[in-house]
Amino acid sequence: MTTLIDKTSPARSGGQGPSGSGRRGPVVILRGSGRYRLILAVCLVLAAGFVAWGGTLQPFEQGQLTRAGIFAIAILGLNFTTGYVGLLSVGHSAFLGLGAYTTGVLVVNYNQTALSTIPVAMGICFVVGLLVGIPALRIRGLYLAIVTLALGVAFPEIVARLGGLTGGAEGLTIRRTLLRPPEWSGFTLGEKDQWLYWLTIVCLLLAFVVLRNIITGRYGMAMNAVRQNEIAAAASGVNIATVKLLSFAVSGAITGLAGSLFAMYIGSLFAEGSFTVLAGITLLIGLVVGGERTMLGPIIGGLIVVFLPYYTSDIGGGQFSAVLFAIALIAVVFVAPDGIAGGLGRIIRKVVRVDARRPDGGREGGLFGDAPTATATESGSAR
Amino acid sequence: MDIFLTRLFAGMTAGSIYAMIALTLVIVFRSSATINFAQGEFALFTTYVSWWLTERGWNIWVTLIPAVVIGFVLCAAAERFLVRPVRRRDEAAVLIVGLALFTGLNGLSGTIWGSDDKVYPRLVPVSVDSFLEIAGARLFYDSLFVMGALVVVVGGLTLLMSRTNLGLQMRAVATNQESAGLCGIKVGRVFMISWGLAGAIGAVAAAILVPILPPGQLGLPGMFHMLIFGTVAAILGGLDSIKGAVVGGLSLGVGLAMINGYGSGLGGSISLTVALVVVVAVLGLRPSGLFGSKRLERV
Repeated sequence: MTTLIDKTSPARSGGQGPSGSGRRGPVVILRGSGRYRLILAVCLVLAAGFVAWGGTLQPFEQGQLTRAGIFAIAILGLNFTTGYVGLLSVGHSAFLGLGAYTTGVLVVNYNQTALSTIPVAMGICFVVGLLVGIPALRIRGLYLAIVTLALGVAFPEIVARLGGLTGGAEGLTIRRTLLRPPEWSGFTLGEKDQWLYWLTIVCLLLAFVVLRNIITGRYGMAMNAVRQNEIAAAASGVNIATVKLLSFAVSGAITGLAGSLFAMYIGSLFAEGSFTVLAGITLLIGLVVGGERTMLGPIIGGLIVVFLPYYTSDIGGGQFSAVLFAIALIAVVFVAPDGIAGGLGRIIRKVVRVDARRPDGGREGGLFGDAPTATATESGSAR
Repeated sequence: MDIFLTRLFAGMTAGSIYAMIALTLVIVFRSSATINFAQGEFALFTTYVSWWLTERGWNIWVTLIPAVVIGFVLCAAAERFLVRPVRRRDEAAVLIVGLALFTGLNGLSGTIWGSDDKVYPRLVPVSVDSFLEIAGARLFYDSLFVMGALVVVVGGLTLLMSRTNLGLQMRAVATNQESAGLCGIKVGRVFMISWGLAGAIGAVAAAILVPILPPGQLGLPGMFHMLIFGTVAAILGGLDSIKGAVVGGLSLGVGLAMINGYGSGLGGSISLTVALVVVVAVLGLRPSGLFGSKRLERV
């Protein structure tokens, strides 16, 4: 990417890079300039190329990629509340499961098409998210993590209890023919994997764009304010209760979307296997390692939680990936608190800096997270 | 009556174990203000060590010594090298280190000893007739042993807290870290010892509970369930109170036994959910638990 940029460009003089010191500051690119658009276009083409390459893979590899996409959506949802508002949740597995079981039950027992169940799943998860958000108004930090832990632990038990609806401990199997891609898509039943891959990509893209717009907007500023200092946020006119409840609900709905897709992907649902608290912890690990409060973090996290166990399954009877996860987590906490995406972002920002045209900034929630403070202190110390 | 007593005894047995796990969490919480998610996995690791030694022909009681020592050293080292450097940053960072230890220790145990269940011997051998009969109900000796172990642990802790210099320092740190530091207490060392102590108690608790509580074998996922019960008990009692942990653990154990026994609509597979709903309700009404000290916030 750096080779694209002419380092002696006039754009650089517009920045506040450390002039006079021996070290060259980062190249500054203005948002919306031609150069910026070119880089963006190249990144988009690369991403599109990757997605298209995924579309040509063998069913198994493609399935793994679909799975990673589904987890990326779920982690996007988790990032919304745990990352931006700071409501730590270890029980998001329940939303994943709720979405999956909504789709499963509607398809199997009520003859709905799989696609039409997605809005229902998201709606139910939204409402449950609101309900779970209520304790978050009074309970904070660690104690809130315990409440979400309770949610995660309770979910498999409740599913087992409602055996008549959910198949209980035996699980719920969705027959393959029930997951037939819709007529208009042009995919046949045999191409179900292809259909699901593209459906996941579209959902991921939609979730990404919608969440990014929320986070970079007014509401996103309110979310950041609530995380950083509740009292100051309230004093500035942010309704803390609304922000917390809505963020939990939206987060639940997005993770529910992932669950719905997961049901279509996996076909047979076992609450004890797929939706325990351990799955919630996996989501949290993916988020932290990928990068909290970054937009690319959840996607990196989704790829990691799927592919790291896959590639290390030969070592130590499949248990070794857990050790690697632990090392990655500790490395993240010690070396790059904003995860892989944040760390990459910091390295890139040493070379290239994107400045907004507006003087007021508003860059929170950029692809690599909210960085301006880091750059500001850096250039400050260089002077 | 005898059925009631039988259920009471079963509940007390399980409750004693929950109380012991809750104690380990409370000790850590009093010093570091965090719930150590990895507490169960530390205990899992030491129990695997103990099992491995019994396979080498050691007496089960003798294997407890290395288990306790390893538990102490592992936990203290984790505090010193992993938790303390990030402690000042925020709660979330410590919690994530805890999650990392949780995942890592579980994976490490699995990598070293394999993921199949192991048969772990009982500390107190039982036969069909080794019980006391009280009003028609049977109180097995191993239940007595578990309750006795809890009494010994709590008694030891109380003595440590109230009679020794170290205990005084630990209480001072729990009350106010800065003031304690200004009085010349080496706060960091107290943290480390607290974690080590929790690890040692966890090692004992795990060795006792593995053969008694279902599934009765040593397996990788088992301790996490125990950790949840322990957390529930600790929260019920207020996270920073030793008395609270014991009351919380016993009432959780007895409560679950009664729900399972009498409330057939609520029992069985869903009992943990019921317990958790109670905890959330308790937290909603009294955010610092039954015996926990109120947190003051500066507004």
